[in-house]
Amino acid sequence: MRGVFTYMKRDFTKWARGRVAVISALVMPAAWLVFVGLALPVRFTGNYLDFITPGILVMTMLSAGLSGGALLMFDKILGFLNKFLALPTPRASILVGKILFITGRGLIQTTIILVIALLIGATLMSPLQYLLTYLVLFLFGVLISAFATTVALHLDDHDSYSAFSTMISMPLFFTSSALMPYDVMPVWLATIARLNPLSFAIDAVREIGAGSVPSLPVLLLVAISAIILGICMSVFRRVTI
Amino acid sequence: MNAIETRGLTKYYDTLCAVDDLSLSINNEIFALLGPNGSGKTTTVLMLTTLLNPTAGTASVCGNDILTQAEEVRSCISYVPQDMAVDIKLTGRENVRFFADLYGVPRAADRVDEVLAVMELSDRADDLIRTYSGGMRRRLELAQALVHEPSVLFLDEPTIGLDVAARKRIWEHIRALRKKGMTVFVTTHYMDEADRFCDRVGIISKGRIAALGTPAELKARLMKDVITAKVEGECTPPPVEGVVFVGRTGDELSFTAENGREALPVLTDALVHAGIRVHSMSLREPTLDDVFIQAIGQQEEPHGFEDGKFRIMLRRRK
Repeated sequence: MRGVFTYMKRDFTKWARGRVAVISALVMPAAWLVFVGLALPVRFTGNYLDFITPGILVMTMLSAGLSGGALLMFDKILGFLNKFLALPTPRASILVGKILFITGRGLIQTTIILVIALLIGATLMSPLQYLLTYLVLFLFGVLISAFATTVALHLDDHDSYSAFSTMISMPLFFTSSALMPYDVMPVWLATIARLNPLSFAIDAVREIGAGSVPSLPVLLLVAISAIILGICMSVFRRVTI
Repeated sequence: MNAIETRGLTKYYDTLCAVDDLSLSINNEIFALLGPNGSGKTTTVLMLTTLLNPTAGTASVCGNDILTQAEEVRSCISYVPQDMAVDIKLTGRENVRFFADLYGVPRAADRVDEVLAVMELSDRADDLIRTYSGGMRRRLELAQALVHEPSVLFLDEPTIGLDVAARKRIWEHIRALRKKGMTVFVTTHYMDEADRFCDRVGIISKGRIAALGTPAELKARLMKDVITAKVEGECTPPPVEGVVFVGRTGDELSFTAENGREALPVLTDALVHAGIRVHSMSLREPTLDDVFIQAIGQQEEPHGFEDGKFRIMLRRRK
């Protein structure tokens, strides 16, 4: 689609010239990895770091996606979006460009988290396992960034957007399978966790780590991402301000 | 075929009527939509640039309907909104190249150099926008808009917040574009600029066109010169033939006359005879300001002052 690459390139150039944001986005997941992954006394697994790393990877992607929605909010507040909407370039390209940038940026951040995890004692996987992990993270990134960008399109100002992203990020994380397996959760939490899309991604990455191919969670993830992406694209096609 | 044609264009925001039954034909000219804040100027531009759907009526740009052929409309126009939106972390060249790529302009690099040169930005093209002045940023936005050679250019308040020299420069560029055959649709509330630089103006008030014509025509329609006299103390001006007393503000009396030059000495004599102490007299030709004030009448804000809301606001501040 025309314009997708151009929109994506603009965001990458601006991001690369930002510096501070690159580092600050990594502090939270790295802190989780070190302070929770290494310090929490748990009995259900021998290497808790290996258990929590998939959760932290997906969390990194989640916060990259949610903070990425703010990009569209700023484009809107500063008047860029009006200019873009008046262009003959397909309007859905704005969305796809944002998705590719946000997901791409998220993958760079998760790579750094993976390296940190290895340095502090996580188990090294095979190249194929890493490839599959990236595929899952990419799918999840598409899902979350399409959703966040479309929500930003419909909210009025940055305050309400940041309220929205705070409101959903914590509950999503804590009701997922990031911190503990289903069998040690209370029953009510396990029920919610099994329906949480975050868990699909986390379980998939965990299964990859255990050496199997996670066909069911990946299939679920593909289905949800495709539905959300389709809805979001049609919203962008019809948008007026 | 006119570049812009609107028929009964209407837009309601809930119950507030922003644009009311607007019909205009515009072709190869600089057309200025003049109006007070909140009169519907920007809403009109947003509808013509396909960013907003009208509630009723229709419009065509370059022969394409804004509702059914929105994409064709977008490929023959350029739109520069009011807020200056250029990426400050990119260079001037990158900003223009970004739009050239979005438009899919052939030989983009050459074309970018060309428009940067037209807008006199070549020597600063590789500096970050952070270092550009307001006037330069505006010219850069024009360069972005021109990169795909549009046939119709929409400019929303193109000179707002710029100094006098920068404004003049922007207008010279706009005039040059018109000469090349482009249709330029601007909104502004600077009367003097519309008077000096635009071919035709439409004065819009509460979503309706209140006056339409060339600046000279509109001024001629008033057909009167304005005489003001600075006087001392209370007084009732005597009736003078061919002179109409308009009103008094402070110690200034205003009159209008068909022929100001002849009326001025007659009026002065009459005032002195009536025992009024006159400090000074002045005569001026009507400006677009006068046309504007006459066309829109006493303007109210869209919402009246509400005492209750104001008090709540004060309480919140504490």
